[in-house]
Amino acid sequence: MTAVDDHHHPRPPSAVELRAQALEALLAERGLVSTDAIDAVVELYENDVGPQNGAKVVAHAWVDDGYRERLLTNANQAIAELGFGGAEGDNMVVVPNTPAIHNMIVCTLCSCYPWPVLGLPPTWYKSPPYRARAVSEPRAVLREFGLELSQEVEIRVWDSSAEVRYLVLPMRPAATEGWSEDQLAAIVSRDCMIGTAVPLVAGPART
Amino acid sequence: MDGVHDMGGMHGFGPALEPGGELAYHERWEPRVFAIQILVGVEGLGAGPGGRAVREEMDPARYLAATYYERWLYSAEQRLLRKGTIAPGEIEAMKERLEAGEATPVHRDRAMADRILANLRAEDPMEPPPPDARFARRARVRVRRMHPKGHTRCPRYARGAVGLVEAVRGADRLPDRAVYGEKVAPEPVYSVAFRSEDLWGPSEEPGWTVVLDLWESYLEPA
Repeated sequence: MTAVDDHHHPRPPSAVELRAQALEALLAERGLVSTDAIDAVVELYENDVGPQNGAKVVAHAWVDDGYRERLLTNANQAIAELGFGGAEGDNMVVVPNTPAIHNMIVCTLCSCYPWPVLGLPPTWYKSPPYRARAVSEPRAVLREFGLELSQEVEIRVWDSSAEVRYLVLPMRPAATEGWSEDQLAAIVSRDCMIGTAVPLVAGPART
Repeated sequence: MDGVHDMGGMHGFGPALEPGGELAYHERWEPRVFAIQILVGVEGLGAGPGGRAVREEMDPARYLAATYYERWLYSAEQRLLRKGTIAPGEIEAMKERLEAGEATPVHRDRAMADRILANLRAEDPMEPPPPDARFARRARVRVRRMHPKGHTRCPRYARGAVGLVEAVRGADRLPDRAVYGEKVAPEPVYSVAFRSEDLWGPSEEPGWTVVLDLWESYLEPA
Protein backbone atom coordinates (compact mmCIF):
# COMPACT_ATOMS: atom_id res chain seq x y z
CA MET A 1 0.00 0.00 0.00
CA THR A 2 1.12 3.49 -0.77
CA ALA A 3 1.27 6.37 1.67
CA VAL A 4 -1.69 7.95 -0.07
CA ASP A 5 -3.76 4.85 0.52
CA ASP A 6 -2.64 4.80 4.12
CA HIS A 7 -3.95 8.30 4.52
CA HIS A 8 -7.40 7.19 3.37
CA HIS A 9 -7.32 3.91 5.27
CA PRO A 10 -6.12 4.25 8.83
CA ARG A 11 -6.88 0.54 9.22
CA PRO A 12 -5.68 -2.12 6.83
CA PRO A 13 -8.19 -2.75 4.03
CA SER A 14 -10.69 -5.49 4.67
CA ALA A 15 -10.84 -8.66 2.59
CA VAL A 16 -13.90 -7.39 0.74
CA GLU A 17 -12.24 -4.07 -0.02
CA LEU A 18 -9.20 -5.85 -1.47
CA ARG A 19 -11.50 -8.02 -3.53
CA ALA A 20 -13.39 -4.97 -4.84
CA GLN A 21 -10.10 -3.28 -5.74
CA ALA A 22 -8.94 -6.43 -7.49
CA LEU A 23 -12.12 -6.66 -9.54
CA GLU A 24 -11.84 -3.02 -10.62
CA ALA A 25 -8.15 -3.53 -11.45
CA LEU A 26 -8.88 -6.65 -13.48
CA LEU A 27 -11.58 -4.95 -15.54
CA ALA A 28 -9.46 -1.84 -16.03
CA GLU A 29 -6.44 -3.87 -17.13
CA ARG A 30 -8.58 -5.53 -19.80
CA GLY A 31 -9.99 -2.18 -20.89
CA LEU A 32 -13.53 -3.34 -20.11
CA VAL A 33 -14.36 -0.72 -17.53
CA SER A 34 -12.85 2.72 -17.51
CA THR A 35 -11.60 4.35 -14.36
CA ASP A 36 -13.18 7.63 -15.49
CA ALA A 37 -16.57 5.96 -15.87
CA ILE A 38 -16.42 4.68 -12.30
CA ASP A 39 -15.24 8.08 -11.06
CA ALA A 40 -18.07 9.76 -12.99
CA VAL A 41 -20.77 7.61 -11.38
CA VAL A 42 -19.36 8.14 -7.89
CA GLU A 43 -19.14 11.90 -8.45
CA LEU A 44 -22.64 12.08 -9.94
CA TYR A 45 -24.24 10.75 -6.76
CA GLU A 46 -21.87 12.58 -4.44
CA ASN A 47 -22.19 16.01 -6.03
CA ASP A 48 -25.17 16.36 -8.34
CA VAL A 49 -27.86 13.90 -7.37
CA GLY A 50 -29.10 13.77 -3.81
CA PRO A 51 -31.87 14.84 -1.45
CA GLN A 52 -31.14 18.48 -2.21
CA ASN A 53 -32.97 17.83 -5.50
CA GLY A 54 -36.05 16.41 -3.82
CA ALA A 55 -36.04 19.29 -1.33
CA LYS A 56 -36.26 21.76 -4.24
CA VAL A 57 -39.20 19.85 -5.66
CA VAL A 58 -40.99 19.93 -2.30
CA ALA A 59 -40.27 23.60 -1.66
CA HIS A 60 -41.50 24.53 -5.12
CA ALA A 61 -44.70 22.55 -4.58
CA TRP A 62 -45.21 24.42 -1.29
CA VAL A 63 -45.15 27.84 -2.93
CA ASP A 64 -46.81 27.05 -6.26
CA ASP A 65 -50.21 25.34 -6.17
CA GLY A 66 -50.20 24.74 -9.91
CA TYR A 67 -46.84 22.96 -9.61
CA ARG A 68 -48.12 20.92 -6.67
CA GLU A 69 -51.06 19.79 -8.79
CA ARG A 70 -48.76 18.80 -11.66
CA LEU A 71 -46.45 17.00 -9.24
CA LEU A 72 -49.30 14.93 -7.86
CA THR A 73 -50.77 14.08 -11.26
CA ASN A 74 -47.63 13.67 -13.40
CA ALA A 75 -44.63 13.51 -11.13
CA ASN A 76 -42.05 12.72 -13.81
CA GLN A 77 -42.98 15.73 -15.87
CA ALA A 78 -43.11 18.05 -12.86
CA ILE A 79 -39.77 16.82 -11.53
CA ALA A 80 -38.26 17.26 -15.01
CA GLU A 81 -39.43 20.90 -14.96
CA LEU A 82 -36.81 21.46 -12.26
CA GLY A 83 -34.18 19.62 -14.28
CA PHE A 84 -34.17 16.33 -12.40
CA GLY A 85 -34.76 12.80 -13.63
CA GLY A 86 -33.04 9.60 -14.62
CA ALA A 87 -32.44 6.02 -13.57
CA GLU A 88 -34.65 4.75 -10.75
CA GLY A 89 -36.94 7.70 -11.32
CA ASP A 90 -38.58 6.30 -14.44
CA ASN A 91 -42.03 6.02 -12.87
CA MET A 92 -42.33 8.57 -10.08
CA VAL A 93 -45.38 8.92 -7.87
CA VAL A 94 -45.52 11.65 -5.22
CA VAL A 95 -47.69 10.93 -2.20
CA PRO A 96 -48.83 13.97 -0.17
CA ASN A 97 -49.03 14.00 3.60
CA THR A 98 -52.19 15.58 4.99
CA PRO A 99 -53.43 16.17 8.54
CA ALA A 100 -55.17 12.76 8.23
CA ILE A 101 -52.58 10.71 6.29
CA HIS A 102 -48.86 10.15 6.81
CA ASN A 103 -46.95 8.36 4.06
CA MET A 104 -43.74 6.40 4.34
CA ILE A 105 -41.71 4.47 1.81
CA VAL A 106 -39.92 1.15 1.98
CA CYS A 107 -38.66 -1.61 -0.27
CA THR A 108 -39.04 -4.87 1.64
CA LEU A 109 -37.51 -7.00 -1.12
CA CYS A 110 -34.50 -4.90 -2.00
CA SER A 111 -33.60 -1.23 -1.80
CA CYS A 112 -35.70 0.55 -4.44
CA TYR A 113 -35.46 4.28 -3.97
CA PRO A 114 -35.98 7.37 -6.16
CA TRP A 115 -32.36 8.15 -7.03
CA PRO A 116 -32.91 11.33 -9.12
CA VAL A 117 -34.56 13.16 -6.22
CA LEU A 118 -33.00 11.48 -3.18
CA GLY A 119 -29.66 10.09 -4.37
CA LEU A 120 -28.48 6.75 -3.02
CA PRO A 121 -30.36 5.39 -0.01
CA PRO A 122 -29.02 5.55 3.54
CA THR A 123 -27.77 2.30 5.04
CA TRP A 124 -30.78 1.93 7.34
CA TYR A 125 -33.16 1.99 4.36
CA LYS A 126 -31.37 -1.02 2.83
CA SER A 127 -30.94 -2.93 6.08
CA PRO A 128 -33.04 -5.82 7.42
CA PRO A 129 -34.67 -4.02 10.40
CA TYR A 130 -36.31 -1.26 8.37
CA ARG A 131 -37.23 -3.57 5.48
CA ALA A 132 -38.79 -6.07 7.89
CA ARG A 133 -40.60 -3.69 10.21
CA ALA A 134 -41.79 -0.69 8.16
CA VAL A 135 -44.72 -2.72 6.83
CA SER A 136 -45.49 -4.66 10.02
CA GLU A 137 -45.03 -2.09 12.81
CA PRO A 138 -44.66 1.34 11.22
CA ARG A 139 -45.44 3.35 14.34
CA ALA A 140 -42.76 1.57 16.34
CA VAL A 141 -40.29 2.28 13.54
CA LEU A 142 -41.27 5.94 13.31
CA ARG A 143 -40.90 6.27 17.07
CA GLU A 144 -37.30 5.09 16.73
CA PHE A 145 -36.80 7.92 14.26
CA GLY A 146 -38.23 10.31 16.85
CA LEU A 147 -41.55 10.73 15.08
CA GLU A 148 -44.63 10.23 17.24
CA LEU A 149 -47.84 10.62 15.24
CA SER A 150 -51.30 11.12 16.65
CA GLN A 151 -53.30 7.87 16.91
CA GLU A 152 -55.87 9.37 14.53
CA VAL A 153 -53.40 9.77 11.68
CA GLU A 154 -53.58 6.95 9.12
CA ILE A 155 -50.16 5.65 8.16
CA ARG A 156 -49.80 4.55 4.57
CA VAL A 157 -46.70 2.48 3.87
CA TRP A 158 -45.69 2.25 0.22
CA ASP A 159 -43.72 -0.94 -0.47
CA SER A 160 -41.92 -0.28 -3.76
CA SER A 161 -42.30 -3.80 -5.11
CA ALA A 162 -42.43 -2.88 -8.82
CA GLU A 163 -40.85 -0.09 -10.89
CA VAL A 164 -42.79 2.80 -9.37
CA ARG A 165 -40.63 5.00 -7.14
CA TYR A 166 -42.28 7.07 -4.45
CA LEU A 167 -41.52 10.42 -2.91
CA VAL A 168 -43.36 11.80 0.11
CA LEU A 169 -44.57 15.38 -0.15
CA PRO A 170 -44.49 16.55 3.47
CA MET A 171 -46.82 19.19 4.86
CA ARG A 172 -45.45 22.71 4.97
CA PRO A 173 -44.97 23.68 8.61
CA ALA A 174 -46.85 26.61 10.01
CA ALA A 175 -44.65 29.64 10.70
CA THR A 176 -42.96 29.50 7.33
CA GLU A 177 -45.07 32.18 5.66
CA GLY A 178 -43.03 34.39 3.44
CA TRP A 179 -40.02 32.09 3.37
CA SER A 180 -38.09 31.83 0.14
CA GLU A 181 -37.90 28.51 -1.68
CA ASP A 182 -34.29 28.17 -0.59
CA GLN A 183 -35.25 28.67 3.05
CA LEU A 184 -38.04 26.13 2.69
CA ALA A 185 -35.85 23.58 0.93
CA ALA A 186 -33.38 23.80 3.83
CA ILE A 187 -35.92 22.28 6.24
CA VAL A 188 -36.83 19.39 3.91
CA SER A 189 -34.51 16.58 4.92
CA ARG A 190 -34.09 13.29 3.11
CA ASP A 191 -36.03 11.51 5.85
CA CYS A 192 -38.97 13.91 5.39
CA MET A 193 -39.25 12.66 1.81
CA ILE A 194 -38.98 8.98 2.84
CA GLY A 195 -41.57 9.64 5.52
CA THR A 196 -39.54 8.84 8.63
CA ALA A 197 -39.49 12.52 9.65
CA VAL A 198 -41.49 15.68 9.18
CA PRO A 199 -40.08 19.16 8.50
CA LEU A 200 -39.49 21.12 11.65
CA VAL A 201 -38.97 24.82 12.22
CA ALA A 202 -36.47 25.50 14.98
CA GLY A 203 -37.06 28.64 16.99
CA PRO A 204 -38.79 31.73 15.67
CA ALA A 205 -39.40 31.87 11.95
CA ARG A 206 -36.62 33.47 9.95
CA THR A 207 -37.64 35.98 7.35
CA MET B 1 -37.80 -16.87 -4.88
CA ASP B 2 -38.74 -17.12 -1.26
CA GLY B 3 -35.35 -16.17 0.12
CA VAL B 4 -34.12 -14.12 3.05
CA HIS B 5 -34.21 -10.97 0.92
CA ASP B 6 -38.02 -11.06 1.22
CA MET B 7 -37.96 -9.43 4.64
CA GLY B 8 -41.36 -7.82 5.12
CA GLY B 9 -42.68 -8.74 8.58
CA MET B 10 -39.67 -10.74 9.77
CA HIS B 11 -38.78 -10.48 13.46
CA GLY B 12 -35.49 -10.33 15.29
CA PHE B 13 -33.45 -7.80 13.33
CA GLY B 14 -33.36 -5.16 16.05
CA PRO B 15 -33.69 -1.37 15.89
CA ALA B 16 -34.13 0.42 12.57
CA LEU B 17 -31.42 2.97 13.27
CA GLU B 18 -27.93 1.86 14.10
CA PRO B 19 -24.72 3.90 14.35
CA GLY B 20 -23.55 4.86 10.88
CA GLY B 21 -26.91 4.01 9.38
CA GLU B 22 -27.49 7.54 8.10
CA LEU B 23 -24.74 7.29 5.50
CA ALA B 24 -25.24 5.82 2.03
CA TYR B 25 -21.87 4.10 2.38
CA HIS B 26 -18.84 4.13 4.60
CA GLU B 27 -15.85 3.17 2.49
CA ARG B 28 -14.55 4.33 -0.87
CA TRP B 29 -14.78 0.92 -2.50
CA GLU B 30 -18.53 0.77 -1.98
CA PRO B 31 -19.70 3.40 -4.50
CA ARG B 32 -17.05 2.06 -6.91
CA VAL B 33 -18.63 -1.39 -6.72
CA PHE B 34 -22.01 0.25 -7.24
CA ALA B 35 -20.59 1.88 -10.39
CA ILE B 36 -19.00 -1.37 -11.60
CA GLN B 37 -22.28 -3.25 -11.22
CA ILE B 38 -24.05 -0.59 -13.32
CA LEU B 39 -21.27 -0.70 -15.93
CA VAL B 40 -21.54 -4.50 -16.11
CA GLY B 41 -25.13 -3.99 -17.20
CA VAL B 42 -24.74 -0.97 -19.48
CA GLU B 43 -21.62 -2.30 -21.21
CA GLY B 44 -23.07 -5.80 -21.60
CA LEU B 45 -20.28 -7.48 -19.65
CA GLY B 46 -22.49 -9.79 -17.61
CA ALA B 47 -24.93 -12.63 -18.17
CA GLY B 48 -27.82 -14.17 -16.33
CA PRO B 49 -30.66 -12.33 -14.66
CA GLY B 50 -29.98 -8.79 -13.45
CA GLY B 51 -27.91 -8.01 -10.39
CA ARG B 52 -30.90 -8.05 -8.11
CA ALA B 53 -32.04 -11.57 -8.99
CA VAL B 54 -28.44 -12.78 -8.65
CA ARG B 55 -28.13 -11.25 -5.19
CA GLU B 56 -31.27 -13.12 -4.18
CA GLU B 57 -29.52 -16.37 -5.11
CA MET B 58 -26.83 -15.79 -2.47
CA ASP B 59 -26.55 -18.35 0.28
CA PRO B 60 -28.99 -16.99 2.90
CA ALA B 61 -26.48 -16.95 5.76
CA ARG B 62 -24.03 -15.11 3.55
CA TYR B 63 -26.69 -12.67 2.32
CA LEU B 64 -27.52 -11.67 5.89
CA ALA B 65 -23.90 -11.45 6.99
CA ALA B 66 -22.84 -9.34 4.00
CA THR B 67 -23.01 -5.58 3.92
CA TYR B 68 -25.12 -4.04 1.19
CA TYR B 69 -22.32 -3.37 -1.26
CA GLU B 70 -20.71 -6.75 -0.57
CA ARG B 71 -23.87 -8.15 -2.13
CA TRP B 72 -23.41 -5.87 -5.11
CA LEU B 73 -19.82 -7.07 -5.44
CA TYR B 74 -21.10 -10.63 -5.39
CA SER B 75 -23.66 -9.97 -8.14
CA ALA B 76 -21.13 -8.10 -10.31
CA GLU B 77 -18.67 -11.00 -10.03
CA GLN B 78 -21.31 -13.62 -10.71
CA ARG B 79 -22.62 -11.88 -13.79
CA LEU B 80 -19.08 -11.43 -15.16
CA LEU B 81 -18.28 -15.09 -14.52
CA ARG B 82 -21.51 -16.31 -16.13
CA LYS B 83 -20.77 -14.37 -19.30
CA GLY B 84 -17.17 -15.58 -19.31
CA THR B 85 -15.88 -12.00 -19.15
CA ILE B 86 -13.70 -13.11 -16.26
CA ALA B 87 -12.67 -16.63 -15.33
CA PRO B 88 -12.63 -18.28 -11.90
CA GLY B 89 -9.45 -17.42 -9.99
CA GLU B 90 -8.69 -14.22 -11.89
CA ILE B 91 -9.84 -11.87 -9.14
CA GLU B 92 -7.71 -13.78 -6.62
CA ALA B 93 -4.73 -13.60 -8.96
CA MET B 94 -5.12 -9.83 -9.36
CA LYS B 95 -5.52 -9.48 -5.61
CA GLU B 96 -2.18 -11.22 -5.11
CA ARG B 97 -0.49 -8.94 -7.63
CA LEU B 98 -1.85 -5.84 -5.88
CA GLU B 99 -0.87 -7.17 -2.48
CA ALA B 100 2.63 -7.82 -3.82
CA GLY B 101 2.86 -4.10 -4.55
CA GLU B 102 2.02 -3.87 -8.25
CA ALA B 103 0.55 -0.57 -9.33
CA THR B 104 -3.23 -0.62 -9.75
CA PRO B 105 -4.08 -0.66 -13.47
CA VAL B 106 -5.97 2.37 -14.69
CA HIS B 107 -7.95 2.53 -17.92
CA ARG B 108 -8.95 5.89 -19.38
CA ASP B 109 -12.01 6.05 -21.63
CA ARG B 110 -13.98 9.25 -21.36
CA ALA B 111 -16.52 8.02 -23.92
CA MET B 112 -17.50 5.23 -21.55
CA ALA B 113 -17.97 7.75 -18.76
CA ASP B 114 -20.24 9.81 -21.02
CA ARG B 115 -22.16 6.68 -22.00
CA ILE B 116 -22.83 5.68 -18.43
CA LEU B 117 -23.81 9.20 -17.40
CA ALA B 118 -26.24 9.42 -20.33
CA ASN B 119 -27.65 6.07 -19.27
CA LEU B 120 -28.16 7.21 -15.67
CA ARG B 121 -29.82 10.43 -16.82
CA ALA B 122 -32.24 8.64 -19.17
CA GLU B 123 -35.63 7.32 -18.14
CA ASP B 124 -37.33 4.16 -19.28
CA PRO B 125 -40.93 4.50 -18.10
CA MET B 126 -43.52 1.75 -18.05
CA GLU B 127 -45.96 1.65 -20.90
CA PRO B 128 -49.34 3.29 -20.22
CA PRO B 129 -51.94 0.97 -18.72
CA PRO B 130 -53.98 -0.89 -21.35
CA PRO B 131 -57.65 0.08 -21.67
CA ASP B 132 -58.64 -3.54 -21.05
CA ALA B 133 -56.88 -3.95 -17.72
CA ARG B 134 -58.62 -6.73 -15.82
CA PHE B 135 -59.08 -4.76 -12.62
CA ALA B 136 -60.34 -1.22 -12.18
CA ARG B 137 -59.71 1.21 -9.37
CA ARG B 138 -61.48 0.10 -6.16
CA ALA B 139 -61.69 -3.53 -7.40
CA ARG B 140 -61.26 -6.15 -4.67
CA VAL B 141 -58.36 -8.43 -5.47
CA ARG B 142 -56.62 -11.31 -3.75
CA VAL B 143 -52.92 -11.97 -4.09
CA ARG B 144 -52.47 -15.47 -5.44
CA ARG B 145 -50.90 -18.22 -3.37
CA MET B 146 -47.59 -19.04 -4.98
CA HIS B 147 -44.15 -20.38 -4.17
CA PRO B 148 -41.93 -19.38 -7.07
CA LYS B 149 -38.39 -20.75 -7.20
CA GLY B 150 -37.15 -17.84 -9.29
CA HIS B 151 -37.18 -14.07 -9.00
CA THR B 152 -40.51 -12.50 -8.09
CA ARG B 153 -41.78 -9.13 -6.92
CA CYS B 154 -44.67 -10.61 -5.02
CA PRO B 155 -43.64 -10.51 -1.36
CA ARG B 156 -44.59 -13.48 0.80
CA TYR B 157 -46.39 -11.36 3.35
CA ALA B 158 -49.06 -10.28 0.85
CA ARG B 159 -49.93 -13.70 -0.59
CA GLY B 160 -53.50 -14.72 0.04
CA ALA B 161 -54.43 -11.27 1.32
CA VAL B 162 -57.32 -9.24 -0.09
CA GLY B 163 -56.87 -5.58 -0.96
CA LEU B 164 -58.34 -2.80 -3.05
CA VAL B 165 -56.86 -1.57 -6.31
CA GLU B 166 -55.71 1.97 -5.63
CA ALA B 167 -54.38 2.77 -9.10
CA VAL B 168 -53.43 1.16 -12.39
CA ARG B 169 -49.85 2.36 -12.72
CA GLY B 170 -48.89 1.17 -16.17
CA ALA B 171 -47.91 -1.95 -18.08
CA ASP B 172 -44.65 -3.79 -17.56
CA ARG B 173 -43.13 -7.17 -18.33
CA LEU B 174 -43.59 -9.72 -15.56
CA PRO B 175 -40.16 -9.82 -13.89
CA ASP B 176 -40.62 -13.44 -12.82
CA ARG B 177 -40.07 -14.35 -16.49
CA ALA B 178 -38.55 -11.25 -18.06
CA VAL B 179 -35.38 -11.26 -15.93
CA TYR B 180 -34.54 -14.69 -17.35
CA GLY B 181 -34.71 -13.34 -20.88
CA GLU B 182 -38.20 -14.55 -21.76
CA LYS B 183 -40.02 -12.34 -24.23
CA VAL B 184 -43.25 -11.57 -22.42
CA ALA B 185 -45.79 -8.90 -23.24
CA PRO B 186 -46.28 -6.05 -20.76
CA GLU B 187 -49.18 -6.54 -18.38
CA PRO B 188 -50.92 -4.10 -16.04
CA VAL B 189 -49.23 -3.18 -12.77
CA TYR B 190 -51.54 -2.13 -9.95
CA SER B 191 -51.05 -0.36 -6.66
CA VAL B 192 -53.08 -2.44 -4.22
CA ALA B 193 -53.93 -1.17 -0.74
CA PHE B 194 -54.16 -3.64 2.13
CA ARG B 195 -55.47 -3.06 5.63
CA SER B 196 -52.89 -4.03 8.21
CA GLU B 197 -55.30 -6.50 9.86
CA ASP B 198 -55.60 -8.37 6.56
CA LEU B 199 -51.83 -8.78 6.38
CA TRP B 200 -50.82 -9.24 9.98
CA GLY B 201 -53.91 -9.91 12.06
CA PRO B 202 -54.48 -7.92 15.25
CA SER B 203 -51.82 -5.44 16.29
CA GLU B 204 -51.08 -3.18 19.24
CA GLU B 205 -50.77 -0.30 16.81
CA PRO B 206 -53.88 1.36 15.39
CA GLY B 207 -54.56 0.02 11.91
CA TRP B 208 -52.47 1.22 8.98
CA THR B 209 -52.42 0.70 5.24
CA VAL B 210 -49.75 -1.02 3.18
CA VAL B 211 -49.72 -0.35 -0.56
CA LEU B 212 -47.90 -2.77 -2.84
CA ASP B 213 -47.28 -2.57 -6.58
CA LEU B 214 -48.31 -5.89 -8.11
CA TRP B 215 -48.35 -7.29 -11.63
CA GLU B 216 -51.70 -8.60 -12.86
CA SER B 217 -50.39 -12.18 -12.87
CA TYR B 218 -50.09 -12.01 -9.08
CA LEU B 219 -53.77 -11.14 -8.60
CA GLU B 220 -57.17 -12.77 -8.81
CA PRO B 221 -60.65 -11.32 -8.21
CA ALA B 222 -61.86 -11.43 -4.60
